[in-house]
Amino acid sequence: MRLAFILSEIGSGLRRNLSMVVSVVLVTFVSLSFIGGAALLQMQINQMKDYWYDKVQVSIFLCADNSSSQTCAAGAVTDEQRADIESKMESPAVAQYVESYQHETQDEALTHFQDQFENSPIVDTVTADQLPESFRVRLVDPEKYEVINELFSSMTGVDVVVDQRELLEQIFSIMNVASLVSLGIAGVMIVCAVLLVATTIRLSAFSRRRETGIMRLVGASKLVIQLPFVLEGVIAAVIGAMLASGALWAVARFFIEGQLAQQYPGTAFIASSQVWVIAPVLVILGALLAGISSMLTLRRYLKV
Amino acid sequence: MIRFENVTKVYDQKSRPALDGIDLEIDRGDFTFLVGPSGSGKSTFLRLVLREERSSSGDVYVAGKNVARVPSWRVPRLRRGIGVVFQDFRLLPNKDVFGNVAFAMQVIGKSRYLIRETVPEVIKLVGLEGKEHRMPHELSGGEQQRVAIARAIVNKPGILLADEPTGNLDPATSVGIMNILDKVNQNGTTVVMATHDDDIVNSMRRRVIELADGRVVRDEKSGEYTAMIPVVNADGTRELKPAGEVRVASAAGSQAIAPFDSEEDEL
Repeated sequence: MRLAFILSEIGSGLRRNLSMVVSVVLVTFVSLSFIGGAALLQMQINQMKDYWYDKVQVSIFLCADNSSSQTCAAGAVTDEQRADIESKMESPAVAQYVESYQHETQDEALTHFQDQFENSPIVDTVTADQLPESFRVRLVDPEKYEVINELFSSMTGVDVVVDQRELLEQIFSIMNVASLVSLGIAGVMIVCAVLLVATTIRLSAFSRRRETGIMRLVGASKLVIQLPFVLEGVIAAVIGAMLASGALWAVARFFIEGQLAQQYPGTAFIASSQVWVIAPVLVILGALLAGISSMLTLRRYLKV
Repeated sequence: MIRFENVTKVYDQKSRPALDGIDLEIDRGDFTFLVGPSGSGKSTFLRLVLREERSSSGDVYVAGKNVARVPSWRVPRLRRGIGVVFQDFRLLPNKDVFGNVAFAMQVIGKSRYLIRETVPEVIKLVGLEGKEHRMPHELSGGEQQRVAIARAIVNKPGILLADEPTGNLDPATSVGIMNILDKVNQNGTTVVMATHDDDIVNSMRRRVIELADGRVVRDEKSGEYTAMIPVVNADGTRELKPAGEVRVASAAGSQAIAPFDSEEDEL
């Protein structure tokens, strides 16, 4: 009985305050979308980091038939050149910087590539001879990349020395900035959402002061009086959070999976299913924000 | 049932107290009028009983409990034992008669079955049978006040507080309301009624407590509206007629604006 009563109170409150409720829904929707967006970006960064970091820090790409750098003028790397590079790697001058190194043949590069992009259609079109042979070097101190670069980049048979960490870090830092900006916007929007929930609840409490006054007089408990208001805010925020989750899923599904992943098959993108990790967090966050702000508002504006 | 022990209530340190050292006791089953001009402390008295306010000093006992000692989460339980009726009815405009009365039971979690059982009885008690599905705006003032009384007593409180219940009603309708309050009282409910309506007080011959400037200036077992003008004849009998002109003149002065004052709105 009491539950049915509270539910009907919530229903009438939501109807009576429809425009405010809609604005709460929209503001939480936008703010939580930004939070979710930031989270997705972080997931994307982690996805790339997981794969790349700790695997390779410096790649020494060897000349292939179609390499164009000066050191490759003689065409593809020969066995002799390869042995030279390897012996230099073993030499005490270099070995002190190198923790481990690994030679990757073109076939291995292909397997590697196929692992990395198993979801991408490009896998089927790439063949081993399109991928360069390389030495993958893990440094004792990643900062000493310059030493390796100087020593190897001028050797014949070496196409280019790449510190992949540096490349990745640039991308990551851009993405980090983007996610920080997104969080900043989300922060402002959340302040808006909290204040709007407070105003909505205040308005709702004001428009129902007759009911609450009578409820107080006939001895309704604090819970029965306040719960409909709190739940009103929470329901609006949860709807907003669900919309935000839906929007993020749509972006991941149709933009990232549907477009970016097609256009840039060389990059590992997050899958739309990963949005379902974020969605519950957004819903809980929205509910908490609305609940706390409406409870604080009620404490001031609804005498019990 | 209600006991005030040296109760003082100060709202604003600079002005005089709203209630100043009140000592009185209202027994179970009493029907008591609380009279006095606006600002004499009638509403404060009722608010203290309801624990809307706490006394600045002194103790208020309601149904044997010191209300100051009731923890705030128990206050709703305390209020379930008290029904309240106001001058302005305070019905919910979007609920019909049945809904308004049932509301008082719904919010304290009474079962649907009990509500269906009790509400029609109470509606019948206040003489509104057949009008259960009227909306408040389809009722006359007297009928609206009957609904308000029904709502106040539907949870069978031990105490009924009425704050100027006839203030917005004409004399004939007021008599009807008083008959209902009397019936409620005869069913065992203690009734405390604050009023400016001298005719009603005089005709009822019940206990009268008169307040002035926050003090009890008179407490009579079966008194009349005002004791300011002597209405007792030389032989000791009470006679209304000779004092009538004098009394009406003085009462009108305090009544002219009283029914429309809104000091009780917060209650």
